[in-house]
Amino acid sequence: MQAQAAGRQGRGRPARSRGNGGLGRAIRYLGRHKGTNIPAYIALVVATLAQLAVPQLLQNMVNAITDGFTARTIFGLPALAQPIAARAAGYSIDELQSFADNGVTFLVNATILIVIFSVLRGVFAFVQAYLSEATSQGIAFDFRNQIFEKIQRLSFSYYDRNQTGQLMIRATDDVERVRVFIAQGLILAAQAFLLLIATLIILFLTNWQLTLVVLPILPVAILVFMIFGIVVQPLFVAIQERLSALNTVLQENMAGIRVVRAFAREAHERQRFTVRNQAVLEQQLQVARTFSFLFPVIFLLAQVGQAALLYFGGRQIIEGSLTLGNYQLFSLYVVYIFFPLGQLGFIISLLAQAAASADRIFEILDAKSDIEEKPNALTLTQLTGAVEFKDVSFRYFSSSDPVLENVSFTAAPGMTVALLGGTGSGKTTIINLIPRFYDATEGAILIDGHDVRDVTIDSLRSQIGIVLQETNLFSGTIRDNIAFGRPDATDEQVIAAATAAEAHEYIVKFPQGYDTPVGERGTTLSGGQKQRLAIARALLLDPRLLILDDSTSSVDLITEYKIQKALDKLMQGRTSFVIAQRISTVVNADLILVLDKGKVVETGKHEHLMEHSAIYADIYNSQLVGDAELTSEMAAVSAEGTTQS
Amino acid sequence: MMGMDGGRRMFEQESSKAANIGATLSRFAGYFSKTWVGVAIALILIMIQTWTQVIAPDYIGQAVDCYLFPQPNSVCWFDPLALTTDMTAEAKIVGVGSIALILLGLFVLGAVLAGMAFYAMSASGQRVLRTMRLDLFNQLQRLSLNFYAENEAGNLMSRITSDTEQIAQAFSFALLQVIGGALLMGWLAIKMFQNNVAYSLVSLAVVPIMFIATVWISNQARRAFRKTRREMGSVNAELQENIAGAREVQAFNREDETIEEFRLVNEANRAANIRAAAFTSALNPVLEALGYVALGVVVIVGGLALLQDTPVLGITGITLGTVFAFVQYVQRFSQPITQIAVLWTNVQSAIAGGERIFGLLDVPEEIADKPNATLMPRIMGKVEFKGVKAGYQADQPVLKGIDFTAEPGQTIAIVGPTGAGKTTIINLIPRFYDVSDGTVRIDGHDVRDVTMQSLREQVGIVLQDTFLFSDTVMENIRYGKVSASDEEVIAAAKLVSADVFIDRLPEGYQTVLGERGSGLSQGQRQLISIARVVLKDPRILILDEATSSVDTRTERLIQKAFERLLEGRTSFVIAHRLSTIRNADVVMVLKDGEIIERGTHTSLIADRGAYYDLYMSQFRREEQGEEAPAPSSNGAHPIVAVPSGD
Repeated sequence: MQAQAAGRQGRGRPARSRGNGGLGRAIRYLGRHKGTNIPAYIALVVATLAQLAVPQLLQNMVNAITDGFTARTIFGLPALAQPIAARAAGYSIDELQSFADNGVTFLVNATILIVIFSVLRGVFAFVQAYLSEATSQGIAFDFRNQIFEKIQRLSFSYYDRNQTGQLMIRATDDVERVRVFIAQGLILAAQAFLLLIATLIILFLTNWQLTLVVLPILPVAILVFMIFGIVVQPLFVAIQERLSALNTVLQENMAGIRVVRAFAREAHERQRFTVRNQAVLEQQLQVARTFSFLFPVIFLLAQVGQAALLYFGGRQIIEGSLTLGNYQLFSLYVVYIFFPLGQLGFIISLLAQAAASADRIFEILDAKSDIEEKPNALTLTQLTGAVEFKDVSFRYFSSSDPVLENVSFTAAPGMTVALLGGTGSGKTTIINLIPRFYDATEGAILIDGHDVRDVTIDSLRSQIGIVLQETNLFSGTIRDNIAFGRPDATDEQVIAAATAAEAHEYIVKFPQGYDTPVGERGTTLSGGQKQRLAIARALLLDPRLLILDDSTSSVDLITEYKIQKALDKLMQGRTSFVIAQRISTVVNADLILVLDKGKVVETGKHEHLMEHSAIYADIYNSQLVGDAELTSEMAAVSAEGTTQS
Repeated sequence: MMGMDGGRRMFEQESSKAANIGATLSRFAGYFSKTWVGVAIALILIMIQTWTQVIAPDYIGQAVDCYLFPQPNSVCWFDPLALTTDMTAEAKIVGVGSIALILLGLFVLGAVLAGMAFYAMSASGQRVLRTMRLDLFNQLQRLSLNFYAENEAGNLMSRITSDTEQIAQAFSFALLQVIGGALLMGWLAIKMFQNNVAYSLVSLAVVPIMFIATVWISNQARRAFRKTRREMGSVNAELQENIAGAREVQAFNREDETIEEFRLVNEANRAANIRAAAFTSALNPVLEALGYVALGVVVIVGGLALLQDTPVLGITGITLGTVFAFVQYVQRFSQPITQIAVLWTNVQSAIAGGERIFGLLDVPEEIADKPNATLMPRIMGKVEFKGVKAGYQADQPVLKGIDFTAEPGQTIAIVGPTGAGKTTIINLIPRFYDVSDGTVRIDGHDVRDVTMQSLREQVGIVLQDTFLFSDTVMENIRYGKVSASDEEVIAAAKLVSADVFIDRLPEGYQTVLGERGSGLSQGQRQLISIARVVLKDPRILILDEATSSVDTRTERLIQKAFERLLEGRTSFVIAHRLSTIRNADVVMVLKDGEIIERGTHTSLIADRGAYYDLYMSQFRREEQGEEAPAPSSNGAHPIVAVPSGD
């Protein structure tokens, strides 16, 4: 029933609100990692400034050669020609003398300086990259922990609405996207900004006229990249969508491979896959087409500046207002303007992806758990096991139809309560309300007279043993799984519980016994084995209250018998709520609740109901009697056998 | 039984031997050869584009040599008159302007060529990827179920998704850039050696060091990344397990421990990633610093030779122009080297991805149609097992010699404990597996002699684990018979009483089902999967009767549906219900891979063998374990609650 409700909601997926500032909040996580983040940004500034010095240092080196060479050339001329040549070269004789004397020293110094600088820059660039990576890994670590913790504490209704796969994607892919943005995008943006501003200042100081020639390209480039971002983003989204459509086909095909084979539908599956595969290809080609227009524009923008610079700079040189050396220096710095611009497109695409991902992450972190502990919640002491439902109504979502309506009953300590009814009658909801997996929409559930909403969740659930419909095993040994609710249990206690649950026998048959690994990467247990493990798990808790979704799945007759035996032991002396599938359980129950469409339509014991309830008699006759007749025949055969022997 | 071991082992091995790298690359080449036109066009375009890049600096040099800073020894091929005649400033500006225009033209040409090359390469790469994905998918359709039992679906899926993605990244435009860069480097090297061999050797001495550094760092990084992948795998496993099992975690109050466990795994992942970052962060700074060292060497060696007029390191013939030229050459060397370094790592992961992909493609197909397989004629329904042995591993036979004959229309109930071989028997009929010895014949045809398609079309199977596709209810039922009309689908649903709940769904038959049919209860899912088989109307029916988590009414519906399904077909039922067993024509009791008893329910009870014991143990439990409740109104004895089959 909650499955149906979930289905209705599930198609809507978690509401995705756009641009609620998730990325800003994610960036604020940097504050938690000041120790690595601040040094990273300091290293970034140092490395960028060192980079800015490089053209100047390069020029110094070239100058040292040129000057020294000029001095040598001039001093090689006849003495009379020297002053004229010196004037032509723009130097005084004294300057030239100093070049000639110290030329080698200048050269060596300039070279050593640039090597030192570049090594220094290298070191800082490394420190920056490493620390940024460490910072971003730290943020990813925080996010994953928080998401995981949140998911563990959310109420069951959240799991009804969200699929495991989707939640996992948030903790992995989405976190990774935000991480990459913080490690690369943010740093690149900071570096680009720094480089751009500093270069512009240097250029203006060097030659403002020439700077004005290059400057108009900037806004054009920024505009182009903005458009680029806007155009490309939806294309990538479309690729993601088509890829996930392809993956869905793939995943279903593999999960349902037996069905595919059984119905010989390989050709049909191939067709489904081919269609989606082709769709991915077409979208990729669409992206390639767009990029094949956009790429050249980016290329060109970075290079047009060089051509313009050559013309306008050349003009200044010819007119005598610029030296060749300064022109060369200038053109080196111009590269520093266009280099960050080239990265802008990349930064924008990282940013857009990260923004969407950050929003999805915070959607989980901001999710309100429907079940909140009151600040002054009581700690329950040892329960006696009295359970009372007072006019309980329940809706999964505020607007939907009630799943339970005005359910009232009282179970005295030690009673076995059997819940009967069809799919959607509300049986599962009732047992989910007792350990407060959900809260009642109206009415109250009292345990030993305490409203479950007034007590701490820990003290409540630790006294309730639950065997769910489907048993999940966790990675670890069989022992770990039995001791799941009581990690401190001794080996003797674990074995005792397993023995009582009829599980000991099969466990010791494994070569590693209780140390046999199970779960995703371990031995696969059959449905019946899992169920007995779940019973052992509940037995070990020794709870006062027991909740049992009593349905055995795919087991053979002997196993079925063993499970029944284990369950009987489990229920002794505890208040038990059982979604009953077995006649014996129903017949022996202290209280039978017959549910229909969320209402308790009949209550009482078997004999009472057989006489007074048409609905119960109907269920009994339609379902239970068929088997009853068979087994009475068996009884006859058996009796015959006994008398004969 | 399936000679599978060799293949499986081969598949699991992800060896990184040099021979494999060669083989993998040549198979990539095989794929790319199918789109060789695109690749060839891309290569030609990128060569021309590289040429525009190569000659552009020459034009800038001409602007300097002809107009801006003409020297007595300058060479001006662009405008030979410029050096000999006394030009006006205006004429010089016109000359510089025309060079600027030529540059602009070259840049536009280069950009357009790059764009076209990008498209040609991307299109080829994406076509190759499509083919690879399709080949992988087809291979997955051919592999036996045994293979699926051995390999995790997630692992297989990642071959089609992430491994192909890695190949896309390596064999993309970046590769073209690198090819262009390599061409540029080659051209630069030729120019340098033409100019001055000894000086070139000294200038390029750093290049081998750069390559060694790149290889070493990326090898270290690769090792570190291997660890990060393992750690990330653990994080994923932990997430998967505890999100899927979150209800249990809460039911047992284990939130704090679970969160702490996750934190540990998460921390290990962070540590591994930070360690890998040490190497990835080092690559670019190291290459850049080495580039400057090379520059320093060029300047020092050239400068000293010029200034002292003595050969340094025996290098002679250096002019000021040579030094300037070399400074430029060496600077232009570093970008392609960095690009190659980056691509090197991409290519490595592509090769690793390729090995995994081809490993999967190379798994031998165990169960395939014979070349001369015939079509299975319409099945009458006689099924014979003769001396059948089978097992999932060669040394552990599950079936140890099974002989029986089922006549057309008979219902065969198979009972026995878990692991007795019940499922193996039914898996052999539609040839999901092959026997290791003996034969399975249907109407006298060995199942290995007919096409699987024609065989499986006539065999209907209701599995324990119902699987629904994320599609409408209508399409899910129609899965049994593609050609069925809507009316036929609805009729099938009605026959199994599934129409009642389907009509109540928000959009009836058009309701889209979610992940693994979520939104429906187990019982409802099972009814849909039974309707699917009803629609298929198979000649032979195989039924795994276990139903799980179904309420009593649905259980009743399912049982009725089964009864209708069994009529008039040869049926094999792994039986859990007494009624089924009692109605069966033959009951086979299986134990440890052998049929230990066979007969009807009544005859087996009379025989007092294993079957009898099975029921006695159940029956006695009922008598001893519980007090007898009051007799019910209709006289049936209610303690008779033997296996209601849940």
